[in-house]
Amino acid sequence: MKTLKIHTTEDDHRIAKLAALAIGLHLIEAVVPSPLPGVKPGIANIVTLYVLYRFDFATAAWVSLLRVFASSLLFGNFLSPTFALSLSGAVLSLLALCLAQYLPKRYFGPVSLSIFAALAHMVGQLLLVRFWLIPHAGVAYLIPVFMVAALLFGLLNGLITSALLKKA
Amino acid sequence: MKSAYFKRLLPGDYLVVLLGLLLVVYLFKTLWHGEHAAKLEIRQGDQVFATLSLDQDRVIQVVGPLGTSKIEIKQGKVRFLSSPCSNQYCVHQGWLHHVGQAAICLPNRVSLELLGAKKAYDSLNY
Amino acid sequence: MRFLVFVLALLLAACGKEPLVHSQSYVFGTLVDISIYGESEARAHQVSNEIFQDFQKLHHQYHAWQKGSELYELNEAFSQGKSIQVKPELREMLEEATSLSKQSNGLFNPAIGGLIHAWGFQRDEFTPIDIQPEVIKNLVNANPVMLDIVMDGDKVRSKNPAVQLDLGGYAKGYALDKAAEKLHQLGIKNALVNIGGNIIAIGQHGDHPWRVGIQHPRQPQPMATLELLDGWAIGTSGDYQRYFIDSDGKRYCHIIDPRTGYPVQHTQAVTVLIPPQKHAGVISDVASKPIFISEPKNRDAAAKAMGVENYLVVDNAGISVSPAMKKRIHWLNQSKSEPETK
Repeated sequence: MKTLKIHTTEDDHRIAKLAALAIGLHLIEAVVPSPLPGVKPGIANIVTLYVLYRFDFATAAWVSLLRVFASSLLFGNFLSPTFALSLSGAVLSLLALCLAQYLPKRYFGPVSLSIFAALAHMVGQLLLVRFWLIPHAGVAYLIPVFMVAALLFGLLNGLITSALLKKA
Repeated sequence: MKSAYFKRLLPGDYLVVLLGLLLVVYLFKTLWHGEHAAKLEIRQGDQVFATLSLDQDRVIQVVGPLGTSKIEIKQGKVRFLSSPCSNQYCVHQGWLHHVGQAAICLPNRVSLELLGAKKAYDSLNY
Repeated sequence: MRFLVFVLALLLAACGKEPLVHSQSYVFGTLVDISIYGESEARAHQVSNEIFQDFQKLHHQYHAWQKGSELYELNEAFSQGKSIQVKPELREMLEEATSLSKQSNGLFNPAIGGLIHAWGFQRDEFTPIDIQPEVIKNLVNANPVMLDIVMDGDKVRSKNPAVQLDLGGYAKGYALDKAAEKLHQLGIKNALVNIGGNIIAIGQHGDHPWRVGIQHPRQPQPMATLELLDGWAIGTSGDYQRYFIDSDGKRYCHIIDPRTGYPVQHTQAVTVLIPPQKHAGVISDVASKPIFISEPKNRDAAAKAMGVENYLVVDNAGISVSPAMKKRIHWLNQSKSEPETK
């Protein structure tokens, strides 16, 4: 029987390490309670953003999506609503980053991108909640509150990412 | 210490933060315009037929002089699903979900009103 | 010992609760609600029931199309050119209606019962009718007006057999004034009477004035509120209260322009606010019609003719408010926005 050799590149290693870091952050975040279960500020996005700056969008997308899938497998909620929320948030924030990355770097730093990503992340999650998980008219009253949180965390994450980038 | 953080903010960043704030303010203004109604009061004729919560989906049947009006509660909203009147004004009112909203089937003497903690007015001039 | 008294006093105060009693009833073909403040529940209910019964009586006496009503008998006599005896109350109503009709330059015309019938609005429910322009034209040409009515002692007749009285735009206001009178007689100091949207205020709601919501003509909610002070009355005419929509999607409401014979199409709702005066209720009912019927450029004049300073109009172009009314109205968020049609 021939052993199957999977050749991994240095890039793969790097992505794996970063994904692991992101999963770790996601774990920490999972401990924090939220009024709408599963809707979280997304501190794992710090990793995504950092990767985007240090490497490229493709790598960042890999890290982010790997984080979503691997986390859900690890925590045993693959294909559950929690997973769906995580995925919808990640997909929308990646979309936002994909567009925002072309903003002139002279004027728009990590904070801007982080805010875009955070707001998009929250929108993704809220859309899922409103139209699938809790289709109740009352959800409308929570939307502004969650968006404020997203804005705040977007700002914080951006500042943290900025600090990390300066250090590296 | 604080200044160290602000150094990290580029001019575009301030703009984005500002836009974010404006967005949030806009959301509060549009989505927080009415107290979300929690209770529905159904009246038939002179009496209060029932006072119900809007949190449980269901269809209620109210019998009036013309027949049965069906009231539907779904996803925190309420409406006249059907009514035996010929003009169907009540059904055309559509979904109600804020405090103060009301719909009435005059011919069948059935009225719906969403109640909240405080009432903005004592009587409705309609 | 003192502690016990204190607790007892607290309990008693709690048992007192809000002294506002709200009663509703379906009379006059519409929803009537009476709010009485500051009376015991028993007394408030007793008074409300008495007023509901008065309304029932009035409703039957002056019903435009129910056989046996005084008005029906009168209309029969008119169509046959006969002279008939009428009770003093009806006579007074005719005199007042005639004077108001003159004041409105004929826009308020209770003699067009024939037209109202032709459009199918003399029924309890409204279905689209087959519009016959010839019939309408004839009815308009017959030109029934209040001045055709001749009062001779206690006998009344009409020079024009086409005069058919429909007191729809007057009776609710009349009932309102009668209710206010009775409430005063019975010693009720604070009450709010609402007959299908015509409201009169007595006193106030405890420590603040009565507040009235103004319905949005196209949405199931109020668009504004205002305070109704002691003796003030408010009335609204709308195309959303009695109407039908024909196969082309066109709306035909119950307010008919006596000059053309057709329902008004260019206005959705008119609200008038009337200061304290004798028959404030009647004016609150009658005065909105001429403004509703007038073309937009003539609305101010129509209001002035009726002595109305405070009014609000909603039409397809949006919401317009008279300067005096602007100061009194409190808009509820989101309503001062887009005008809606249909």
